[in-house]
Amino acid sequence: MKTDGVSTADSFHRAKPWRFLFRSPGKDVAQFILLIVVGGWLISLSTARLGYYWQWYRLPRYLFRIEAGRLVAGDLIKGLFFTLRISGVSLALALTIGLATALLRLSDSFMGRLLTRVYLEVIRNTPLLVQVYLLYFVIGPILGLGRFASAVMALSLFEGAYMSEIFRAGIVSLHKGQWEAAYSLGLSRFDTYRDVILPQAIRRILPPLTGEVISLIKNTSLVSLVSLSDLALQARVIAADTFLTFEVWFVTAAIYLALTIPLSIVVYGMEKRFKVLT
Amino acid sequence: MSEIHEDYIIEIENVSKTFTGGVEAVRGFSAKIRRQEVVVIMGPSGSGKSTLLRCINGLETAESGAIVVDGIRLDGDKRRRLEIRKEVGMVFQSFNLFPHLTVLENVNLAQRRVRKKNKASATERSLELLQMVGIADKANSYPAQLSGGQQQRVAIARALALAPKVMLFDEPTSALDPEMINEVLDVMKKLARSGMTMVVVTHEMGFAREVSDWVIFMDDGQIVETGAPESIFARPQEERTRRFLNQIL
Repeated sequence: MKTDGVSTADSFHRAKPWRFLFRSPGKDVAQFILLIVVGGWLISLSTARLGYYWQWYRLPRYLFRIEAGRLVAGDLIKGLFFTLRISGVSLALALTIGLATALLRLSDSFMGRLLTRVYLEVIRNTPLLVQVYLLYFVIGPILGLGRFASAVMALSLFEGAYMSEIFRAGIVSLHKGQWEAAYSLGLSRFDTYRDVILPQAIRRILPPLTGEVISLIKNTSLVSLVSLSDLALQARVIAADTFLTFEVWFVTAAIYLALTIPLSIVVYGMEKRFKVLT
Repeated sequence: MSEIHEDYIIEIENVSKTFTGGVEAVRGFSAKIRRQEVVVIMGPSGSGKSTLLRCINGLETAESGAIVVDGIRLDGDKRRRLEIRKEVGMVFQSFNLFPHLTVLENVNLAQRRVRKKNKASATERSLELLQMVGIADKANSYPAQLSGGQQQRVAIARALALAPKVMLFDEPTSALDPEMINEVLDVMKKLARSGMTMVVVTHEMGFAREVSDWVIFMDDGQIVETGAPESIFARPQEERTRRFLNQIL
């Protein structure tokens, strides 16, 4: 009998041709269709039991309307734009806070390490919901922050804490020889971070960082609790007005998906492009 | 501390280094190295050779004793430590090239950041250096596309980029396949003949014999014996030196 890997695999397939199905994309497609069918059947079953009456035709006006011959964004799309805006601002802030926190935690400064440690533990061990309320009702008024600003603060402080741990892990995962080589060339700490450490760390942390960015986008739905008209709040209002509960929330979920899935794809492309040869 | 002599470029006086955990890597080490000298440090692993070398450019901080390089005293002061690092190039056992930068960018980096040169003039010098180490045709390759010997030669070019007065080599050929050792040693010999002051931790007896002015044999963080290579290899005075030489021959 041959022991070489390829021919063993061949004879394996010849012996049990049905096994081949498990490795083909056809099986994945079949599984996916099956999943949709079963999911749809379960939903129709439960809505039938609830006596739910589907009215999809009433929904499009909340996405787009034609007014005076012009296409106008409906409330859901307006909410989407707001969600995009608050996500963008919070993301930029969260990345800054995350990087600064990671660098402080790795610095020689005792106070820096202590402060960042306290910040991390407080933020990570309390619910985001509580933080959104605290910032809006207590800290916001003290600092004179408006509703939008305090929501952005809550989101970026929360995500910044998680991102800082990702940054830190990426930085310490680099071989210490990289630091030593940079230092021995007379590079300052700042230059070493900028030219040697961070460019390599970023490539390593892109996958977990993408996870956090997606988390951030989903977590923006919590700002609806302080009456900011994001996608989630618009959906809640429309659902309450029209009783189109299922239609509205399914569409809202689809919109969030439409935001986050392209993001995953873009980052996947970036990872492949920036791959470091080792 | 003795007064500073112009002809000594490195003065090491009674230096000790203990790592956290209590390992005494270097114990009361003193040596003076003249300009243009090539000094080889030998000794069994764990004898403190590398630690000593790393103390000279401030990668490790000696907790007692004094190190003066080209008239600059190495102490807690960050600016002076940076000054010394510009005067001292270092080549590592594991090359430590920057994998995300091309060969040319590796050699350019310090010139651009430390000397604030523009790209064109940095590139000009880098290409000269790469020519010198015989690897100019790989300027746009990434380190991972090079063999170990080629990577180490790039690392030498990179360390020379700021025109240092002293070069430190920390076991530069220990991580190389045997057939690549000579290409690196040849570059080092060329450098020695050009008048570079070099401190080399290595077990390459042939290199020591051919280019070094004197050899320091270290064990247990201390100097066991020093001398010219011919005499220390032919007639070692100390039992420990003899035992070690028997092992590596």
